[in-house]
Order: sequence, then structure tokens, then C-alpha cells
Amino acid sequence: MNIRSSKALFAVAASLLVVAAAACTDPTVAPKSTVTPANVFTDQNSYQQFLARVYSGLAVTGQQGAAGNADISGIDEGFSQYMRLYWELEELPTDEAAIAWNDIGIPELNAGQFTSTGTMIKAMYYRIFFQVGMANEFLRETTDALLDSRGVGSALKATIHTYRAEARFLRALSYWHGLDLFGNIPLVTENDPLGATPPRQVARDSVYRYVVSELNDIMTQLPAPGGAAYGRATAAAAHMLLAKLYLNAAVYTGTAHYDLARTEAEAVIASGYSLAARYRNNFLADNNTSPEIIFAIPFDGGHTQSWGGMTFLIHATCGWNDGYNPNDIGVNGCWGGIHMRQQAYLNYEAGDTARTSFFYLTNHTIPMTDMWDFKTGIAAPKFSNRTSTGGTGSDLGFPDTDWPMFRLADAYLIYAEAVVRGGGGSRATALGYINLIRARSYGGTAGDITDGEMTERFILDERGRELLWEATRRTDLVRYGLFTGGDYLWDWKGGTFAGAPLDAHFALYPIPADELITNPNMTQNTGYTN
Amino acid sequence: MRRLRFIIGVLLAVLWVAPLSAQQPTGTIRGRVVDDATQQPLARATVTIASRGAVSQADGRYVVTGVPVGPGFLRVRMLGYAPVTQPVTIVAGQAVVADVAMTSQAISLAEVVVTGYGEQTAGTITGAVAQLSMDEFNPGRIVSPEQLIQGKAAGVQVVDNSEPGGGVSIRIRGTTSVNASVDPLYVIDGMPVSTGQGGGLSAGRNPMNFLNPNDIQSITVLKDASAASIYGSNAANGVVLITTRSGAGRHGTQVEYGSSFSAMTITRLPEVLDASQYRTAVGARYPNLLSMLSNANTDWFSYIDRTGYGQEHNLSVTNSSENAFYRLSLGYLTQDGVLRGTTTERLSLGLNYDQRLFDNALGLKFNLRGSRANDRFTPGGAITNAFQMGPTQPVYDSTSVTGYYNWPGNSLTSPDNPLELVDLADDQGTTWRSVGNLQANYLLPFLSSVRLNVNLGYDVALTERLQFSPSTLHGQTKNANFGNFTRNAQSQTTGVFETYLNYAAPLGVMPGTIDLTGGYSYSQSHSEYPNFYENTLSSDLLRIFGIPNAGTVVPSLYVSDAKVISFFGRVNYNYNDRYIAAFSIRRDGSSRFGAGNQWGNFPALSFAWRLSQEPFLRGVGGLSDLKLRASWARTGNQGIPDYLWSPTYTYSNPYAQYQFGDQWVTTIRPGAVDPNIKWEATASTNLGLDFGFSNQRFSGSIDWYTKKTTDMLFDVTVAAGSALTNHLWTNIGSMKNTGLELMLSARLIDGHGRDLAWTADFTASTNSNELLTINPRAVGAQQILETTVAGGVGTFIQVIQPGAPVHSFFVCRQAYGSDGRPLEGQYLSLVGDTVLTGCSNSERRPYHSPQPKWQLGHTSRFTWHGFDLSFTLRAYLGNYVYNNVASNYGVYQELNRGAPYNLSTSVLETGFTAPQYLSDYYVESASFLRVDNIALGYAFNYAGRPWRAYLTVQNAFTITGYSGVDPTAGVNNVDYNLYPRARTFTGGLSVRY
Repeated sequence: MNIRSSKALFAVAASLLVVAAAACTDPTVAPKSTVTPANVFTDQNSYQQFLARVYSGLAVTGQQGAAGNADISGIDEGFSQYMRLYWELEELPTDEAAIAWNDIGIPELNAGQFTSTGTMIKAMYYRIFFQVGMANEFLRETTDALLDSRGVGSALKATIHTYRAEARFLRALSYWHGLDLFGNIPLVTENDPLGATPPRQVARDSVYRYVVSELNDIMTQLPAPGGAAYGRATAAAAHMLLAKLYLNAAVYTGTAHYDLARTEAEAVIASGYSLAARYRNNFLADNNTSPEIIFAIPFDGGHTQSWGGMTFLIHATCGWNDGYNPNDIGVNGCWGGIHMRQQAYLNYEAGDTARTSFFYLTNHTIPMTDMWDFKTGIAAPKFSNRTSTGGTGSDLGFPDTDWPMFRLADAYLIYAEAVVRGGGGSRATALGYINLIRARSYGGTAGDITDGEMTERFILDERGRELLWEATRRTDLVRYGLFTGGDYLWDWKGGTFAGAPLDAHFALYPIPADELITNPNMTQNTGYTN
Repeated sequence: MRRLRFIIGVLLAVLWVAPLSAQQPTGTIRGRVVDDATQQPLARATVTIASRGAVSQADGRYVVTGVPVGPGFLRVRMLGYAPVTQPVTIVAGQAVVADVAMTSQAISLAEVVVTGYGEQTAGTITGAVAQLSMDEFNPGRIVSPEQLIQGKAAGVQVVDNSEPGGGVSIRIRGTTSVNASVDPLYVIDGMPVSTGQGGGLSAGRNPMNFLNPNDIQSITVLKDASAASIYGSNAANGVVLITTRSGAGRHGTQVEYGSSFSAMTITRLPEVLDASQYRTAVGARYPNLLSMLSNANTDWFSYIDRTGYGQEHNLSVTNSSENAFYRLSLGYLTQDGVLRGTTTERLSLGLNYDQRLFDNALGLKFNLRGSRANDRFTPGGAITNAFQMGPTQPVYDSTSVTGYYNWPGNSLTSPDNPLELVDLADDQGTTWRSVGNLQANYLLPFLSSVRLNVNLGYDVALTERLQFSPSTLHGQTKNANFGNFTRNAQSQTTGVFETYLNYAAPLGVMPGTIDLTGGYSYSQSHSEYPNFYENTLSSDLLRIFGIPNAGTVVPSLYVSDAKVISFFGRVNYNYNDRYIAAFSIRRDGSSRFGAGNQWGNFPALSFAWRLSQEPFLRGVGGLSDLKLRASWARTGNQGIPDYLWSPTYTYSNPYAQYQFGDQWVTTIRPGAVDPNIKWEATASTNLGLDFGFSNQRFSGSIDWYTKKTTDMLFDVTVAAGSALTNHLWTNIGSMKNTGLELMLSARLIDGHGRDLAWTADFTASTNSNELLTINPRAVGAQQILETTVAGGVGTFIQVIQPGAPVHSFFVCRQAYGSDGRPLEGQYLSLVGDTVLTGCSNSERRPYHSPQPKWQLGHTSRFTWHGFDLSFTLRAYLGNYVYNNVASNYGVYQELNRGAPYNLSTSVLETGFTAPQYLSDYYVESASFLRVDNIALGYAFNYAGRPWRAYLTVQNAFTITGYSGVDPTAGVNNVDYNLYPRARTFTGGLSVRY
């Protein structure tokens, strides 16, 4: 090849390059390792998988167990677990428990001195709305029109109708938590578009009415009690949630509905559940077999791991420096966090055996003289990764124990309280339920009470004994008017060991500062200045 | 496409206008311009005769055509050289040959500076550019290329750590982003490597370690946006251009061999209680634990540290002939770290081959580098455990399974024997990487003065990281994890195609010279991230060399692709080296953004006025250079993860399933995205003054800049209910950096020949950073907390808050007693000095920035006969470090564990029982002065060959008031179990054949 011709060839090749280059002007690249809204529902399993995600928001913290690919930000992922936060907000400011850790966000919960920058408070708020967002998106993606356009067959469509009722139940559950803890909150449904203007703040009683109407609306669409796979909500769970809403209606709306609380409790009680033979069976690694549990959040060492939930409630309730053997509750170590205040301990009477069997007093003092010392105040590892037959859960780090969110004993107590508060029904039946519960712990009739002893206050105390550390205490104390004010003091209430009155505004948590910043429609709850 | 047509059209229009030659008899003159002293060709010399002119090419050649016949004067001018005027006589229709040798006056002005898609002479540069070449590089044991320029250029912060080859980051003029990449773009011989990912993929410590520093000719840092913006994407953080050594030089073959040996020793270790202090503390605080203590006296750090030895060998062969040259280099380096288990090893091969064809019309440059790096890591936790392990406990225990002592009880909160960990666990990474490109430039035969440039390049990295912990380790058994094995074998392939036309208008067409560049660039990369993890191993025997059956096996794979397409153009105008202007624009399209937001335009404008060229200043006061520079430019940042714009559903892994009956359902989560995310943009203004006296014997520059980043990507909290989660990546914030830089350099003693000579360089820079807004639409104060502290789960120590420098420490005001000691758990309120119990979020405030207020650097170099001596000093003033070692380990409560943890000696000063993570007591001033290196060399002839022998000490000493191990504690300046800083002694010898 002579120089001239190769030169010409080179010039031609060079020109071609320029032209070829200019042809490539589209930088779009579609993702490969994730699925998109465009193709996700071509796999019909996606409907169930998405519904499972609405449920799993109560159990896991992200798409990677035990931690990773977190659902919400602004907080340590392990701290952000739904039930861990709910538990902390319901228990730490009360007479039942405190955490001996100085982590940011915990001291103000222990003392009931909430501020709008509190880490746990903020995370709970966003967890609630994460759940709402998942449920709303599920409902948007499963309208009949969309299902038809995707060619979903009638059998699957019927199943998806049930899924939709369950998603609405879960949304109602979280809205209940939201209105109970925070009062006036945004109310967004599947009809509100995402990313548009910030949602409006809705008054507490309106949110309440919305939740009640939702629950009534889906009641017949939910599976009948016993008719759903374990882990999923049935009509009994919806009745239980309604019972709790009505029981607290006076707090939420100013108008009491004890009669409705009673009838909802009756519906639960008539659903075929029975008390577990042994009190403790509700809190063990095989509590999925307990006949008493109406709605549970399943955890599993091999499949559902998180640093919150039962991992937290089991590891944190035993101590590393008080001689406790973590093997006794089937775990590989104790975090020495949650200890019990003396008022809760002193609420028990001698003979109340089953409900105090797990108390651990060795190397502990009964008064919680030092909030930061686990060994003041007693240890009470109520939840355990051991089974009812003495076995151990599948993993020593992440327990198999499920969170018993609703159980029959609570329905009995709601019934009794509704009756005592004038909601109709039968005092004799109520007394019978209470003595049924007490007999299980006392191992006989030694603890039975009389009708005369069945007072409003007695039921609060009995709830404390039966439902210790089951994340209902703050709501109960608020309903009884004892959470704030000085009528009832406990260790470190208000930040002093002797206890100090709490201002009335602490009956609600503050709207988180981050929410006030990002949503100009929001107004802070009365009494909070920051 | 339409835009490209436009660029080409403009170019062609200029071309056709140019050759308007007169119809009188003319001739041609040609020749070569060289440096008188070195005989090296000089490019970009301006050659004029009568009204005709030309500019010399890279090989020094010039051709002037159409010159009127008859006698005349050939004038050759070049910045930094004395002008030459030479009488010639032009003959009609013939080519007269006139070679010109020029004498240098102020050589630094004539230096060729590599810029984006071209080169310029230093004296005519309009932007803020720092170029460092081989003789200015830091000496000693240099594993990473970035270390070559540490402390050498004002405004260029090189943040390293003390692992050999440990992750190095460069910050140019502060940080311009919070969530997008803050790394500069690296371009090696015209090949951009891994845009926005800090230099690419690696299973070792630093992706840039694939490049042998010994192969580097020069490193140019494009500091201001006008210089960098021709690179558009990711130019916001500046651009680092690396030019490798080529074979240019005297004709013939030359062989060079160099080798060196080195030893590293620890300069400072964290201070822990010794055995008797530890026993006393346990006895005083937790006497019930005394019975656990043994009677040994163990300095745990002494069991995991060591002197790290290393050696390096470099062999190169260069060959140069009339039209071709090549350089082939082979390098081997191995260096042990000062902790047992740490090693880095690199085997590298480099080839540079240049060929000129068709009478220099076609130039081909072929660059190829390949390397294999093996990194071994000290297993994670070794430093922590050496810190926490009780000094009263023995090292070995013949009765244990592993033979090493561990605390009895297997408690979750008992430290592990660090030596057991170091000896029995494995952690290593292998990185194969090759980067190469073919650059062709072709003087188009049918369009005079137009060069077509084509650059075809690739970057391939294959990595493998292997980690293994045997089931018998205390750290495994106490967690009930019985052995684990991890294999990450990531790979990345990038292809780059670029083509551009360059047109240099012939002289005489208009006053001054003009050159135009217009082009297109396409780059695509494909990455795969397979990961394999298993635990509860059925056997420990295979270690990292096999996959035993295991209780839990978690494989995963993630694939991602990225693409950037660009069009760019530039005009340089130079009037008599007096008025210089440049304009450039780049239009980038990136796959990291969704449709409608993919494209960004990045223009730049700059001017320089060389006052020293003005008649009224010529020769005044010995002035050899005085240049005012001004520039404005806008750059973009697309250094974010792929697919952030795309709404996706994410599957749960096997541990985030949900139980439906007896079935475990894998869940699927819709992600919250802002489909409209777009480029972060930084607009910057630079004002500069270059000056020089006595033919640049004394020279320097001052630069002032301000940069404003807008549309910053923040993961901001959004109103509850408005998105699928509480946070969204969106373009919302803004930030400002303003700074001043000073560089001075002087030949203080201008020795001739072998006399004593002393040159000194001094750099100073200051940068102040302020976050302007996070969410301008939000009401009230906002802040984003970041950087988790060790020990305090969920506790963040730094803040991003409008009005404060980014990453400011966010702490409470410590209250002190009358004895000057901090009072545990007592803080002063922000308003009114009330003593508060505990530190709540509302009583925290931004307190000091990790960034130094001033960075100073100084290098002196002496030569005398065959000797050379140099040293480099570096000082940071006004930087702060959060001492997380003291805040986490300096509390008595740490004794009260499953086995008592040893404590930081900080506890002896504070007496704290419980950790006070958020106290400003732990935010310490970390200003320092460090002698980065001292080097002594001697050049001599032996057996007819030139030899050089040298000795260097790196990190000779540091003066600081900081109480922890190292005041340069990483990028975030949180000091937590840092790899100990080492002092390195290196001796070497090299010879040329």
C-alpha cells in the first residue's frame, strides 16, 4: 500500500468515525438488577410479595435482614424498627420501664420530657407514615381497573380483594398509633397523589372517625377468625382494634364509647380464642402455637431478623453484669438495657406466680435509684427465645419469638373496663373474665377478687400486671388521667428519682421538628415550644 | 447531533476563509526549533517572516508557505526564551531550510502544561493550574500516585492514611458536594478513569494504586473551573491529569534500573492503661470483677505491631528514533505495614509507544498499563481488641482450642485476643487492572491546519476480595457465629471513544493566534458486583481457598451500567502573548439522570492580561512575568449512584422475609424516588495574579476563588405522607466555598554547574466553606445529622446545617469544675450558661469544622556537586478532630463488661464513668506541623555509568497538640482506631545504561 492511498483511506476512516460518533446521542440506560413499576406485576407473585411488605414493616427495618437497605432514614436502622419504637414510646415514660443507655433520644423518654427533636419520637412518626405509604401504594396498584388491564384472572382477583382489606387494616392500625401518640396528623390515602403539595393536618377526632369507618368497612372482607394463615389479620384483629379505639374514644374525641368498646370486645371473645394454659406461653419462641393470640408480628431467627422487635425485647431485658445467664432465655448475650421501675414491681401481690416467674432480683435493688444503672430496678426478661418445651429458638442472636400484639386476655380486660365504666354488659361476666386471668397466674382461686373489688382503678392495676411490657401502658395511664399531673408518681417521672408531676401537654408526643420544617401545614401540639 | 453539525460548520467556515493568498511569487521556509542547551524540540514557538507565520509543532518543526521572494528576517518568539531574529533569503518556488536554536530565559514560562484535550505553555495559561513533574514529586516509599503531590500544590489537599497504599483522597479547593462525589476526575494520558467513582474499582486500598508512580512524568491539577470545565462531568471537583513517561529523549536505547529498600516503624500508639493502672481501676470501680484478672503484664499492641519492610524495583527500556519512540517499564513493589497482616504488593507493566507517519501528518500514541495488586489486610477489629484486651491477661493458653488465651465465659461483651485474630483470620484482595488507549492525531490533507484527533481507550478492572474467619475464633464463638467466608469479585469495564478536530489558524489571518477545538466523547461502563457470603462453616481447613458446606449461604449479584455522551468546543485566542482569552463549552448527557434531565451545559470563560508584555512594563524592576487572570465557569457533578431517578421495587433478602402461615414470603418494596433529579452545578469565579522576577528566579501566584454549588443532591426529609418513605434524594441545597491560594518559588541560591544551589517553594491556602441552604422551601431551622460515633449506637457527631461549614461537629457545651476538669453529664445551655444535666439535641450546636483553616507547605531543595538534599514541610492550622477513642474508651463503665475492657488514659483526666459522646471536650484542636520527608541523594559515575544513591525519611516528625494518634484523622476527622502513622526510612540506588 502506497502512502497516498493509505492516506486517503485514513482520511475516509477518520470521517466515518466522526459520523459514527455523532449517531450515538442517547445516554439512557435502564436498570437491570432491580424491577420497575413497569414490569413488576407481570409476575403475579408480586401481589402477595407486596402485601407481605406492608406487613413486614411491623417487623423488619429494611430489605436486608437484620439491617441494610433501610426503609427510613435519620436514625440508626436498628433503632428504627416499628415495634421497638412503639414499645419505647408506650413503656419508657411510664411506671413500668426505663432503659439504662445514654443513647441520644432515650433519656427524654425515660423522664417523660419529650422534645420535638427527639430521635425516637421522630422515627416512630415516620415509621407510621412509612406503613401508611406502603399500604396506599399497594391499594393504588391493585385497583380493579389496573388488575383487569394486566389480565389478572378472577381467582387471583378475589384473593387480591382480601389483600386490599388487609392492607387497609394495617393502615388503620398505624393511623391508630399515629392519632394515639401524636394527635392531629396528616391523613393521606390512596387517593392522594405522591410528591404533590404537603398533606394537610387533620384533627385527631377526624382521624379517629376515618379509622373507625375503615375498620367497619373492611370487616366483612377480612378473613373470618381462624380463616387466615398465621401472621395475617382476620376480622377478630379488626374487632380488637375497634375495641381499643372505642375504649379510648373519650381521649381521642371527648366523647366516650364504652358501649361500643364492649360490643367489639364481645365480638373478639366470641371468635374462638382461648387463654393459653400457661401465661408464659404467650411470650416464648413457639408462641405461634398459643391459642390466645389474635394478631401477632412473626419474627424468626432464620427468616425475619432485625435489631428491633423481639431481638431488642429479649436481649435488652437481661443484664450482662448481674450474673444472669443469657442461655436461660435462649440468647447469646444480654444488653442490660430495659429495667423495671419499683412501682410496677410493687403492683404485684404474693401468689401472683406465673406473672412474676421471670423477675430477676439477684444483684438488683428494687428502687431504680440510678436510671443509668441496670442493676437498680429489677430485671424482668418476660420474653424469651426458649420454647414451651424447653428447647431453644433457631438462632441465638435473632429470636423466633413473635410479638403478641393482640391477645384474648386484653380483650377480657377491655370488656371488664367497658362494663365498669358504664358501657353496659354484665358485671358478673366481667368479674368472671378477670378471675380467669388471675387464676392462671395464681394457679387457682387464691387471687380471685370480688365484685366490690372490681373498680376502675383495679382494672388499670390488673392491666399493668397482666400486660406488663406489652406496649399499652402509656395509653392506659393517659385514659385514666394518671400519665400527666402529680396524682401518680413513679421513679424518675419528670426527671427526678422521687418523681415530679408532668405537665398535661406531655399526654401527647410533639410533632417532630423535621415534620414542622418540611410541612408548613402542620401546627405543633399545644404546650410544646420547640 | 444538530449541535455537532453546528460545531463542524463553524470550523469549516473558518478554514475556507483562511488561505487567501496573494498572487505574487512566493517561496517556502521550513525548519526545526530547538532549545539551545538541551537540543530538545520546542513546540508552540511563533515563527514569522514578513506577514506570514506559523507555529512550531510538537517535534519542533514549522513550515511557512507563501512567503514573498527576497531577503527578509525570520523572527522566532516563544515565551520563556530570548527572541531570535535571523536573516534569510526566500527563493521563488523553493523551500529554504532554517533551523533555530533558542536560549531559555525564564524556562518555567515555557513549560508545556497538559490541559484538557490539549497542551499549553505555562505562560499563556488563563486558568488556575498547578503542574508538578518528576523532580518536584515527593520522594521515598510512594505506593499511591496521589502521594507524589501531597503538600506540593496550594489548594490541593491529599488525605492519606498510614496503611501502605492506603486509601488516598484528593480535595481540590474544599469540598463542593455533600452527597455526590467529592473526588476529582482522574485522566491518565487522555483517558478518563471511572468518572465520579474516585478512580475506579479495587479490592485493595486505593483504586489508583494500579498506576506505578515511577511511570509518571507529571501531574497537572486543574483547580479552577475554567480549566476543568472542558471535562464537564465531575469537573466540579477539579481534574487531575496524569501524564506517564514516554520515550522522548536522545536517540538510541537506554536502560534504567532502580531499586530501594525501606523500613516503617510506628510513631505513636493509642494510650491505654498499663497492667497496674488497669488493676487499680477495676479494684476501685468494680471490685467484684477483680477475681477475673490474671497476673500477666501484656502490652497487646506490641504483639500486633512490627517494623514493616519493603522493597521496590523498577526497570525501564526506552528507545527513541527519528519517527518513533517507546518506553517499556516493569515494576515490582512490596511493602509491609506496621501492623501484622498488612501487606501491599504490586507488579506493574507499562508501555508507551509513539509513532509518527506520513511525514509527521499522522501521530499515533499508544499507552498501555497493566498491574496486579495484592493487598493483605490486618483483620478488622485487631486495633479495637488490642485496645480493649486486659493488660493483666496472658497471650497464650495451651488449653484453649486455638492455643491463644481468651477471657473465660465466652461473653458477648468480652474483647478478643487480637493476636489470635491476626494469626488465624484472613483478609486479602487481588486487583487486576489495565488501562490503555490509542491516540491518533492526523493533519487532514484536504483541510490545512486541521488536525483530527481520535482517542480510543479502555479500563478493565477485575477484583477479588476474600475474607475468612475460622469457627474457633473467640470473636466467632461469642457471637454464636461459627466461622464465615466472604468473596466479593467485582468487575468493571469502561470503554471511551473520543474524537475532536483542532484547527490552528495560520498566522497573519488576524492579529494574534487562534485555535479552535470541537469534539465528541462517548464513554460507557459496565459493572458487576457479585457477592458470596456464608457462615457456620462445616470446616475451617479450606480457609480462603474453597467454599465449604455451610449453615447459611447468601449469594447476590448486582449489575449496573452507565453512559456519558458529550459534545465540546473551545476557542483559544492569544494576542502577542499579551491578551489571552479562552472560551469553552461542554454539553454532557448522563445515564445517571432520567429523561428530560440528562443533559447539562457547562460553559467557561477566561482571560489573561500579561502586563509584563506591555511596553510600559517591559524590563521594569527585573519583572519577567506579570499576568492577571480572571475566569468564570460552570461545572457539573454526576458522581452519584446509577438509577437514582428510576422508580424500582427491591426484593428482600432471605433475612427480611415475612411469615404467612408456614410459608416465608420474600417481600418487595417500592422505592421512593424523585424522577427529576439532575446535575449538581458549581459556578466558580477565579481571580489570579502570576508574577516573576529576574527571569523567573523568583516567581509566584496568588489566586482568589469563590465557588457556589447549587442543586446539591440531598437526601432530605420530606413531609410525612408525601412520598413512599421519609426521605428523598433531590436537588435542593446550595453551598459556597471561598478561598485564597499563594504559591511562591525561588531559586534562592542560583548555583551554576556544581556550585551550591537552593530552591524553595512555599504554598499556602485557605478555604472557607459554608452551607447556604438545605431545603429553601422548608420553614425553620434545618439540619442533617451524620457520622455515627463508635460506641453510641445511633449517635451522630457531625451536622450539615445552613450557615455552618459542612460536617461541623455537633456537640453540647461541656461544663467544667473549679479544678478545670470536665463534669460528667453536665453541660452549659446554649443561652444563659445554665448548667444542664445531659445533652439533648436542642442544646447542641455546630462547633468547629474538620477542615483546616490554613494549609501550608514548604519544600527546599539543595544541590552541591553530586549531592542533593530536600525536605518537605506541611502544616495545617485550625483543623479539629473528634477523639472518638477517648470518648468511647475513656470511661470507667467500659470495665463493667462481660470482661473488663481496657481504657484510654483519657479516663485519668476526665474520671468519667458513663460515655459523654456529645461533649465538646472531645473535639480537639489538631493543628500540626509535619516534616513529610527529608531526602539526601548523591549522583556519581561508576564504571562509566551514571548512578544515584539516596536515603529518605518520610513522616520524620510531627508537632501537634492533639492527644490522639494522628491529627490527620481521615476525611471526616473522627479519630477512631486509626491505622497507626508510620515513619518510613528508604534507601535506594539507580543506574542508567
